[in-house]
Amino acid sequence: MVELIEGPLVWIALLIFVLGLLFEGRQFLGMTRKKVWVYPPLPSSPKKEEQGWDRWIRSCFASLRGTLWRTDPVIMVGTTVFHICVVATPLFLLGHNLLLQQAIGVSLGSLPEVITDGLALIVLIGVVFFAGRRLLVRRVRAITTGYDYMMLGIVAAPFATGFFAYHQIFDYRTIMILHLLSGEVLLIALPFTKLAHMLFFFLYRFLIGSEYSFTRGTRTW
Amino acid sequence: MDEETKPVDTETIAEMLKGKKARMKRYLSHCVHCSLCAESCFLYMAHDKDPQYMPSYKVIQSLGRLYKKRGKVDRRFLMEIKGIVWNHCVLCGRCYCPIGVHVPSMIAFARSICRSQGVYPDTEEGRVESWL
Repeated sequence: MVELIEGPLVWIALLIFVLGLLFEGRQFLGMTRKKVWVYPPLPSSPKKEEQGWDRWIRSCFASLRGTLWRTDPVIMVGTTVFHICVVATPLFLLGHNLLLQQAIGVSLGSLPEVITDGLALIVLIGVVFFAGRRLLVRRVRAITTGYDYMMLGIVAAPFATGFFAYHQIFDYRTIMILHLLSGEVLLIALPFTKLAHMLFFFLYRFLIGSEYSFTRGTRTW
Repeated sequence: MDEETKPVDTETIAEMLKGKKARMKRYLSHCVHCSLCAESCFLYMAHDKDPQYMPSYKVIQSLGRLYKKRGKVDRRFLMEIKGIVWNHCVLCGRCYCPIGVHVPSMIAFARSICRSQGVYPDTEEGRVESWL
């Protein structure tokens, strides 16, 4: 069992993760068609006026008016930092990159271990924050189910076990096996659960020409 | 026949749900239950921030439950949904989802399902009802 977790299951999980995202993305694109503009969109920046830095910064803040950055700034900062850390920590972790180098001969750049350790801690604090929000904020509690807590747990588990392993808290070997197992569960769950917003956030917001798009979008959904 | 006991054509509902399953189930499963859509709904703001008026709550409690039950619902259930999709939402399309889930299309679809079974607000009801 342990051999399976440490060996083939890692590759199986990675394969399911990549193929799952490709499958979901492809199916999604299959349901869209190229956008035909009835009224061609206006040019986004018709005139570039000479502006000072102060005016530019002020216009940036003004454009946030009415957005979630103004109405829920704490959540927006928290969620942005959390998501950056969730993605950056495993990708730029020295240990992961050394294993990747050994396995396939290439690796991404690594951040100093003290930094990745801090990023993992931020993720764990983020999970506690989101769980607390689900418990304490009335409007979030109204739509929270056990599934939401399970998803938070699935995200937190690899980071918690990784943190414990790095600091040699508890039995190292057991924690490492749990770390691998929880990482594999996370990879497998990603494309098929609500964690798929990792991919669909970008598809919805940048590709679809609807009123929710950040950009004009090129496809109709 | 009494309005409450009229039979429901569950097969038609199941067919309708199946027809838009790929799209609607995606939307439902991609909703991360963050509740950040709440303040974009003027009805939520006008009702002292009552969670029942949150866009996400409305779709989960209407279309979400329809999918969960695979269309096997009775008239009482549809009457319950009617209150959500007509009285708690005016389909103004101003609700905003940070992920990009399109809430109005889901509410509109739930309305279509109710309408297919003759469940919709009648004009008398509309006249005496006040949204705010």
